[in-house]
Amino acid sequence: MTRPAQDRFAHVVGERGGERVVHVIQGEFATSADPDVVLSTLLGSCVAACLYDPQAHVGGLNHFLLPEGSGDATENVRYGVNAMELLINDLLQMGAARPRLEAKLFGGARLLSGVSDIGQRNIAFAERFLHSEGIRCSGSSLGGESARRIRFWPATGRARQLLLHREAEGVFAKESTAASRKPAPAADDGSVELF
Amino acid sequence: MLGASKGGAIMPAASAIRAVVVDDQLTMRTLIRSHLREIGFVNVGEASDGVDGLRVAKEEKPHLVLTDYNMPNLDGLGLLKALRADEATRSTAVFLLTGRADKELVQRAAQLGVNNYLVKPFSAAVLKSKIEEVFGKLS
Repeated sequence: MTRPAQDRFAHVVGERGGERVVHVIQGEFATSADPDVVLSTLLGSCVAACLYDPQAHVGGLNHFLLPEGSGDATENVRYGVNAMELLINDLLQMGAARPRLEAKLFGGARLLSGVSDIGQRNIAFAERFLHSEGIRCSGSSLGGESARRIRFWPATGRARQLLLHREAEGVFAKESTAASRKPAPAADDGSVELF
Repeated sequence: MLGASKGGAIMPAASAIRAVVVDDQLTMRTLIRSHLREIGFVNVGEASDGVDGLRVAKEEKPHLVLTDYNMPNLDGLGLLKALRADEATRSTAVFLLTGRADKELVQRAAQLGVNNYLVKPFSAAVLKSKIEEVFGKLS
């Protein structure tokens, strides 16, 4: 069973080798217990938290960006906590147990120099949240200056990352816009299996 | 005495209202407590699920219980039902906090006697206005 947050946001974008790829855009999340489902997202300064229960074999991924500019810590936390809560609640409803949840964190890159480091704020929030809630982080790839394409198998917790270097960031910019929600063809070449 | 008197004429001080926050996420409890402090609350307890929330409510006899819906052991509706079934907590104001707007859930909560509900994330200002809808304008 796959439970996209809302059908209009989370998209099954194709099938490859018997797997269904669900693309998750900024502000949304998706969960699944289907071993043939791959959750995919494209990250710049945003962070994706991949959560899964290795015993119940359910998992999910969110893609969040804290509000920019206000500098209001409470405001930032408010949105971040909600993004995490929606994902966790969905997983609990699918049979996950909170004490068994494990996490992998991705993203938080600094794509533009000379502007505030939004990515670092997202990273700090995500790490602080996991620590506060007692959720073990079994792996992460955070910060840096490259965008990332993440593929996450929610039923097993396996994750792969492809770093998108400068020449590929045009693709990222295009895909990041709400008007272009379809990801570019998945590129396995050069992707790195993580954790 | 303070109570859930919708549209009441009294202007209670926020500092005189005892509240309990019930949520399974520590981060969310911390955030809501921070909002309550900003509004002027000084007496705020907390609990991590419905069972714990019921125990704390019976011990501390708060005027207001702010409870998440989705929690292990006993969810927000279960807590609401238990509070309404007990003479000691029957008149306690209960606000249901939900992660997303769900008309059916709100209707079920209304049938069980919920006093108000909020969809997360919400600001301190929104929380204050919801409290004032039930307790009257805070002084």
